Order: sequence, then C-alpha cells, then structure tokens
Amino acid sequence: MSNIVLKENEMLGEKHYSFTHKSGLEVFVFPKKMTTSYAIFATRYGAVDNKFKHVTDKEYTIVPDGIAHFLEHKMFECEDGVDAFERYAKTGANANAFTGNNLTGYIFSCTENFYESLEILLDFVTHPYFTEKTVQKEQGIIGQEIKMYEDHPSVRMHRELMKALYKKNKMRIDIAGTVESIAEITAEVLYKCYNIFYNLRNMTLCVVGDVDISQIEAVCDKVLVEAEPFTIVRDTEDEDEPKEAYLKKTVCQLDVSKPLFTIGIKDMDIPKEAKERTKKAYATEILDEILFSQSSEFYNDLYSQNLIAQDLSSGCEIGKNYSFNVISSESSDPDKVYSLFLDYVEKMKKEGLDKEAFELSKRTVYASNIKSFDSVEDIGNNFIFNYFDGADILDTPDIINSITLEYVEKLFNDTFKEEYYAMSVVEPLNK
Amino acid sequence: MITKSFQIADGVKLHYIETDKFKTNYFSFNFVAPLSRENAHFNAMIPLILMRACEKYPSQAEINKRLQFLYSGDIAARNDAFGEYQIFGFKANMLNDRYTQGTDVTGEMVDLLCEMVFKPYLKDGAFDKEFTKGEKLNLIDTIEAEVNNKGQYAVKRLKSEMCKDEVFGVSKMGEVEDVKKITEKSLYDAYKNALQNDIIEIYFVGKADIESVALAFKKRFEGVERTPKAVQPVEIKMSADNVKEVVDTEKVNQGKLVLGFRLGYHYSENQYHLIQLFNEVYGGSPTAKLFLNVREKMSLCYYCRSLINQRSGIMLVSSGIESKNKDIARDAILEQLEMIKRGEITEEEFESAKKSIRNGYLAIYDGAEAMETWVFFRGICGIYTTPIIESEKIENATIDDVKAVANKITLDTVYFLKGEDEK
Repeated sequence: MSNIVLKENEMLGEKHYSFTHKSGLEVFVFPKKMTTSYAIFATRYGAVDNKFKHVTDKEYTIVPDGIAHFLEHKMFECEDGVDAFERYAKTGANANAFTGNNLTGYIFSCTENFYESLEILLDFVTHPYFTEKTVQKEQGIIGQEIKMYEDHPSVRMHRELMKALYKKNKMRIDIAGTVESIAEITAEVLYKCYNIFYNLRNMTLCVVGDVDISQIEAVCDKVLVEAEPFTIVRDTEDEDEPKEAYLKKTVCQLDVSKPLFTIGIKDMDIPKEAKERTKKAYATEILDEILFSQSSEFYNDLYSQNLIAQDLSSGCEIGKNYSFNVISSESSDPDKVYSLFLDYVEKMKKEGLDKEAFELSKRTVYASNIKSFDSVEDIGNNFIFNYFDGADILDTPDIINSITLEYVEKLFNDTFKEEYYAMSVVEPLNK
Repeated sequence: MITKSFQIADGVKLHYIETDKFKTNYFSFNFVAPLSRENAHFNAMIPLILMRACEKYPSQAEINKRLQFLYSGDIAARNDAFGEYQIFGFKANMLNDRYTQGTDVTGEMVDLLCEMVFKPYLKDGAFDKEFTKGEKLNLIDTIEAEVNNKGQYAVKRLKSEMCKDEVFGVSKMGEVEDVKKITEKSLYDAYKNALQNDIIEIYFVGKADIESVALAFKKRFEGVERTPKAVQPVEIKMSADNVKEVVDTEKVNQGKLVLGFRLGYHYSENQYHLIQLFNEVYGGSPTAKLFLNVREKMSLCYYCRSLINQRSGIMLVSSGIESKNKDIARDAILEQLEMIKRGEITEEEFESAKKSIRNGYLAIYDGAEAMETWVFFRGICGIYTTPIIESEKIENATIDDVKAVANKITLDTVYFLKGEDEK
C-alpha cells in the first residue's frame, strides 16, 4: 500500500486522500456519499502545447494547432476495434472527454460497477492506437465540430477576443484548430505527442464518490506500468507578451438577432505563487460582483436606458502565463456601452468602492464556491483545473475569507486601465 | 420519493422531499396551466415581472442586494412546456444554514419569494409601466435570440411546422407580436387569473423545518380567492399521415437536419421506460446506432442524436451536417430505425442500453432539481413511480419490447436549415 495523505477542510466538510502510485501517477480521492461516483484522468497537455522538446534536445518540435483535441478524440479507438464507449457500455458508465488550453481530461460517472469502469478508463488512455485511415475519418468529424462552433456566437466572440487581447500568447490558438491545421495531422505525429505528454508523471487521477481507496490502488496496480521520467520543456516565448491589449476592437458578423459584446481586460501581472493566483482570481470575482451585478449602478443604468436586457455576465481566468477578466452581454449599441463603461470605471475609482457592496459581494462569491461542492463532477473538474495550476480547492474558502477591501481596491486600480481593454463584438449580418 | 405533502389551499400543495445529502436547499413555486397561444406569452412574463420588483424591495438592485445578503440565494424564473401543460413560476436554491453563520437563509428565502408572488410592486392597480416595458423587451430579446443557437432553432422550427395544428407547436415563450401587445394592465390581470385559477404545486428538496415552511405558505394564501381549474388532457396524434418537407435557407456554415416522428404512444400508458430504452439503442448515447453509424462509420457529422418529447408523443432526430450530405444523412438515420423495426439489435447493444438507462435513473437521486422534476412532471399526469421502480422494470424488458416500440413510430416531418451558398 502506498503512503496515503489526508487533507481536510472541516468548515467545508470535505476532504481528500492522496497517494503517488508506483507507476508515477498521482491519485486523489474525495469521499462523498452520493449515488454517483466520478473519475477524471487528466494530462497536463492542452491546446497551447504546440512547441516543445526534451531537456536534452536542441531544437523544438512544432506540431499543428488542434492536435491535443484531435488526440483526445482518437484515444477512444482501441486496437481490437472496440472503442472505449463500447467498453463502458458494459458497465453502464457515462463517459466523455474534453480538451482545454492546458489540459486534456477523460471522465466518467456511474452509479454501479465503478472499479470496472475505472479499469477501462486507465486502460484505454494508456493504450493508444491510430492508423492513417482512422485519422482521416476523424478529420471529417472534427471538421464538422469546427464548423458548428463557427456558427456559435458566444464561442466565436470569445475566440476573437483572445486574438484581440494577445499579440503572441498561445491563448490565441483555437482549441480544435482549423480545418487546414487538422488536415496536417498524421498518425505519426499523434504518436509522438502521445508518447511525450501522456506520461503518467505528467498526469493525475481524481475520484469523487462513495469509493474505497485500496480498491482504486488495486486497479492502478493491475493496469499501469511505471513511467519514464518526464523531461519535457515547453516553449515559453509567449511569456514576453506586451501588457497592453493588442487590438482595441474586433467585429465579426453572424446570423444573430442582436449584437453581442464582450469587454476583455488583459492582465500580465501574474503572481508566481499559485495561492496568490487563486486569491487574485476570487478577488476579481468579488470586484466584478461589486461593479457589474444586478445591484450595481452600472447594470441598472444600462438597463434603464434599454441598452441591455439580460444580465451582465463576468468572469476571469488566471493561468501561469495569462490572465484576463471579461464582461459580456447583448446590446443594441455596444459602442455606447463601452463608452459608459469607461466613464463608470473612472467615476468609481474617484469615489472608491463601497464597503457594504464589498461585504455582500464577498459573501456571494464565498457561497457560490461552497455550492460547487454539491456535485461530484464539479468537485472533480475544479480539483484538476486548480491542481494543475498548483492550487487545491480545499484551500479556496479560506483564501476567499482572507480577501480584504483594500486588496480589491488595489486590484481595481491596477487592472482597470484603458490600455488593457479590448472589445469583441458579434453583430447581425448585413449591418 | 416524497416524504410528506401538505394541502396549503384549494388546489395548492406543498411536497417535501427530505434529504441531507446537499450543502444547499431547493424549492420551487409552480403554476400549472394549459399551454396555449393565447396565454403562453403572459405566463412567460409573469415570473419576470414579479422578480423585477415587489412592494418590500421595489427595484432589481434591492432584490439583488437581499439575495446577496442571503448568501448568494438564487431565484430563477421557470417556464417549461410539457405536452399540453405550461409550468411556470420560480426555482430557488440557497445554502444550508450550516454555512451561514446563524442566518435562517431558507426561511428568509421562502419569505422573499412570497413577497414577490403575493405583494408585487403595483401602480394604479396594475404593474409598473416602465418595468413592464423593460421585461417585454427582455422577453422579446430572448425569443429573437433563439436564432443564435442554430441547433435549437432548427428543432423549434421543426416542432412549429410538425405541430401546426396541435398545442405542442405553441412556443412556451410566446410570439413576439403577442408580447408587444402586453400592457401593464393585461399582465396584471393574467397574474391575478393565474393566482386564482391555476393549480399551484410547491416542491421543497433538502432539509428544513418543513412545518414552518408550510405554515408560511398557508398564511400567504389566506385571503387569496381560489377557484382552481385542472388542465384538460388533449388528444395526441398517434401516427403521421404523409411526410412533410420543410427547408429554410440561411447564412450558416453548417446545415441542420431535424426529423420529427410520431411515437404512437400515449403517456398515460406508463410504458415510458420502454420508449427510453428504444431511444438509448437508437440515438441517445455514444453507443447508439445513430452515433456509431452516422457519425463514426460514415463520418458525416459531429452530432446525431434522438430525443423524446414523452408527453407530446414525439421523437426528434437532429444532426449538423454539410448541406450537400442531406439526403445521405437522412437515409442513414431512417435506415437505422428500420433495423430496429426488424429487430436487428444485438444482445450487447441491448444490455448496454439497459445499463446506461439504469445509471441515468439512479443518478437522479444526486440532484435536487432532478428529483423534483421526476416526481412533479409525472405527478401532474397521475403517474407515481420512482427511479428505482423504473430501473427494475427496465431489467425485465426484452428486445421484442424495443422492436415493438420502433414499429409504432412513423416519420412526420423533415426539416432542413441549409447554408445559403450551398446546393
């Protein structure tokens, strides 16, 4: 039996056990008395990882955009011709996978036969099988997936925003790639990426549910083989990204009923410490809640002028090499909204943030975080996203509690500057 | 699943599903009305206008501040169409009192909802003119924005064409031209009518002092005149006459194909588990025939799935494809159905469909809203069962049962949303 570590947050009423399996894989288990159990097996490999080398190599290898996502699709095919979904069909598990900027995750949830399903998960993700023929077939399917997203207004708007905010940062890359870039993908290059990034020392398994940790270890023993050391260096040329937004505004036309807009705020002042990044992310959420929620002056102004009808939605993302905050909605006149936004920010900077609004907003962010622990899927996914960034979701409530008004005010003054803003608009056709 | 039910007033019930599994409590307040073109837009508007302001909190900002104070308490508008029913009202969720440092969040949330429902913000015997105007624009925007999601839009278009002469073709949001005609007075009348005449069902899922919740609602209904009217069931069309073809052309990158079928099954037969089993084999999962053949083997699409509208007796199959592949895709979708009609289902396919359905049923116990919807929607049709009972029924089903379901199904309408520049 491996050395098992327990970590607990008593206030929250949640804990996890963890161990490093002899294969090199790190395993986390959240005990949770639910009918459903959930597993996520993920690798630190996503859309941004298109240029990399071994420590000892001289030259970087460059691969086509969209390859991590393509690989995710292809992993479901197995050598004996039975795909992973068919194998799961025998256990009744509900399986899927997703690719993000920095990770690829393979997931399943089930109410019965958990260990059999876990064995399938660990087995198919560690046994790749690609041929030129199956690669070609997938180019047709993913080509349709790309086209589907081209017609999707909010997805398009977000992608265009990334291209406006960043000059060279890899956040510019579309996760699925383009029809052209995926046409360059071959079985050989898939194997190459697989062998590098699907190293168990670069991966983590997280299980949430009413499960037994020793049985999980037994499944690992049965399926997993000890991994080589992980010695990959990722290209970081995107680190010297300028602080300012690359473009101020970007517009694309689609068949929508009314313009959609998103204002992005770029922030290149990224804390090195993961805990500090978490703190900054939640402080940004509190700040957005103060500035843009339905209680805010800005929202109510826009609403009463009929400039917006729906909510203003906001959110921020912080990774090791990027950070941005977005405010989005629909409006008949996005340019007017933008100019009111500039005035509002200046006014609020002069007046300072309201103490009561801060307390209420902090309470809101704190409560939303606790609510996310009601779902085994949310726990598993949030854990992996945070863990790959170096943080742990069991620390989050305390981090939120430590955020002060002074911290949020400084954040407001430092990040809300016009030179960091870019706006992406999707407008109706033939305008 | 229901632990206890309370009669709150004439035609008003509160049902309690007790569980301490969650960090949150959930409750819903629902008007159960007949779905109709005459009223759908009013019913869609009622929750929106009531959430906009009330006597005690006369602006959106004040309501929102109250919700923030109650630990990010959430009240959302509900508007569901279920066969001939329109179910509208509110869904609320809130943190368990364990996490709220002594604040009785649940009791306060019930109180806030009651303020919205029973003490709306009024001016001169009607809703506020400006608020009504704002919420009308809001609803019109939402209706017009349906075109933004092409997949859903195509499904809606199919339904409106296929069920032109049936209530199932009515949009639960209403039509833009009808919304435009709403006034603060006509909306207020519609609200009063709903409070007086609709069946009202309240659900609570979680852990609370339910007696005092029941009492709080009872008090609010004192002095409310109630003459509840049950929704009359409507006939459903059991089979299609001839196949209708509808094509729209728009500037899109991907064509959307939707096929509408008649199931030949009536909800009251209580054989829904068999319909679901059929759906799982046909197009409800990544091991279904549609996924394995139309997507995996033929590489025609990213998605191709079937969906059941149980109460309306309808099945839809939708897919996103290259416009030039429309006929190939359509034929492939129909061929897979023919195979099931001939009983060409392997033992493996059948067993995995059973397992998958069972898994889905049992997972219902992990979601407050999932449990509520299960009990509530069946309950209004007079069907009382649990996911466990249904999953036991699934165990006894046979391939012949699935074959029999398929053989009742007939194709009614083919809808295609095609790209402008394509042939």
